[in-house]
Amino acid sequence: MATATHGHSKHPHEEHAHANGRKFTVRVLRQEMAHSGSHWETFELPHEEGMNITTVLQRIAANPVTTDHEQTTPVAYDACCLEEVCGACTMVINGRVRQGCSALVHKLLEESPTGIELRPMTKFHVVRDLVVDRSPMFQHLKRIKAWVRVDGYHDVGPGPRISPKEQEEAYPLSRCMTCGCCLEACPQFNDRSPFIGPAAISQAILFNPHPTGRVDRDDRLAVLAGQGGIVDCGNSQNCVKVCPKDIPLTDSIAKAGRDTTIYKIRKWFGR
Amino acid sequence: MSEEHSQAQAAATDGYHFLIHRLHSLTGLIPIGVFLMMHLFTNASVLAPGPAGMEYQKSVERIHALGPLLVPVEIVGIFLPLLFHSIIGFMIIYTGKSNTQHYRYGGNIRYSFQRWTGVIAFFFIMYHVWQLHWVGQPFRGGSFRLYNESGGPAAAVTTAEAIKAAWWVAPVYAVGILASVYHLSNGIWTSLITWGITIRPRSQQMAGYVCAGFGVILSLIGLGALRGFKTFEVGSGAVQTAESLQEATHH
Ligand code: HEM
Ligand code: HEM
Ligand code: SF4
Ligand code: SF4
Ligand code: FES
Repeated sequence: MATATHGHSKHPHEEHAHANGRKFTVRVLRQEMAHSGSHWETFELPHEEGMNITTVLQRIAANPVTTDHEQTTPVAYDACCLEEVCGACTMVINGRVRQGCSALVHKLLEESPTGIELRPMTKFHVVRDLVVDRSPMFQHLKRIKAWVRVDGYHDVGPGPRISPKEQEEAYPLSRCMTCGCCLEACPQFNDRSPFIGPAAISQAILFNPHPTGRVDRDDRLAVLAGQGGIVDCGNSQNCVKVCPKDIPLTDSIAKAGRDTTIYKIRKWFGR
Repeated sequence: MSEEHSQAQAAATDGYHFLIHRLHSLTGLIPIGVFLMMHLFTNASVLAPGPAGMEYQKSVERIHALGPLLVPVEIVGIFLPLLFHSIIGFMIIYTGKSNTQHYRYGGNIRYSFQRWTGVIAFFFIMYHVWQLHWVGQPFRGGSFRLYNESGGPAAAVTTAEAIKAAWWVAPVYAVGILASVYHLSNGIWTSLITWGITIRPRSQQMAGYVCAGFGVILSLIGLGALRGFKTFEVGSGAVQTAESLQEATHH
């Protein structure tokens, strides 16, 4: 790392491990197909100004040669929006789940000067290399009816009004991009647990108070009060820490805990 | 897992799944948590001023005043809820996969601690109850007595004997106390989220301070009691002999 006394050095670039042109290594966990084994491959590339992980993967694709001088295939990866709103490029970078498009190489090298490590998320099935199948998340959204019901495409007139206060509550929850970071970091979301995870719980809490979404409220609460619902959360609060959209997931979890309890008591009294 | 399968499975166990977990939370708080608090308070009465162990003797006698009802009350009020909470607790532990090495957040570490302390509390309680209640003389099993022939604070004497039986007993108790108290204090904090009482980060933070304070105080009470027994001597203080102990009981 550069120190103040070297500020006038003739070769300031050499002081930065991540300066432009400086070589750095990227270790990638590769897997050819859904059920094949995995292995590590290491690449070396020169740093570029403002480089992110998507760029890194593009450069590797352009010249897929490992540090052992072996010709290999381009690393498969997903990306779409390139501005952290679609969630497609989510992967585990230096041991922590995040989006490749917004993960800047120079920051990553500060975290881990020896090089960058990329692997697919561990809580989803791998399709190939860094591409995973996030469809279970969409199944969960279907289960909790994460939508507002409209009966067709004809004009039904203006929707009900929503107060600014309600909007303020709802907007942060609506930013979810189903990226899977929260599930990857959640200790209770894994193959030993039926837990649907914080993203779907939060979506239920988004749609429940909505004037039109309210009609499906009890159906959502029934799912949240069922197998894999709210009681399978262990309150570690990792989800809220890793969510790239700063969604107040733990607020939603506490609300879901309260609402399901009231719902169940209502049911026991047969109402 | 196909969706139909998971939904059919869910339909079959839905009602119980929720109820079981809510009862797990409740048993942790109401019979077991309250018991732990009262138990450590009672034990700390060994530190009360006056003749050594008399206050503790009286407290334990008050509990044993239930007579033949004591055993059913203990079974229904403590052991069955504890057994239920433990079985479900172990099942919950199985459904989690700790990842504190990659995500070193305070909440995540507390989550792991909640599980470790539950397991420690489980084995500690087994050992503890065996040591004081059940037979097995070689390692001083079943050594607790409320009365002995000479009268006096037999409860305190036998408890102190149990704790002084070997050098490692007091450290084991210290670990047992700290684990149980952490588990209860952090459990109160999570239960406030479980039941939807603290929702905002701010209220959860405030609750965190209160629970931490509660934990520190209860730990001091528990460790104080332990120290009281570890340093307990029948012959110490104002009371010298069995006869004068007996007198102290009657006046
Ligand atoms: C200072 C430390 C402790 C001391 C001196 C102590 C002492 C005792 C004694 C003397 C008994 C038998 C009481 C009787 O039969 O009336 C007892 C029972 C018991 N203790 Fe402790 N204890 C301590 C800490 C703990 C802790 C940390 C727990 C954890 C929850 C615990 C759980 C129990 C249970 C479950 C019983 C059986 C219930 C009963 O018989 O009423 N104890 N303890
Ligand atoms: C010393 C006696 C015990 C007390 C006072 C106690 C109390 C509690 C409390 C109050 C909670 C919080 C529930 C919630 O978040 O809503 C809890 C959670 C928990 N307890 Fe205990 N417990 C005790 C013993 C045990 C034992 C022996 C186990 C067995 C391993 C255990 C395992 C757990 C687990 C795994 C949780 C976390 C539950 C979750 O995150 O949903 N506990 N306990
Ligand atoms: S809640 Fe946050 S971390 Fe979870 S899927 Fe949505 S955007 Fe991603
Ligand atoms: S708070 Fe619950 S949902 Fe969020 S990471 Fe922890 S266990 Fe998972
Ligand atoms: S490409 Fe859309 S979030 Fe990265």
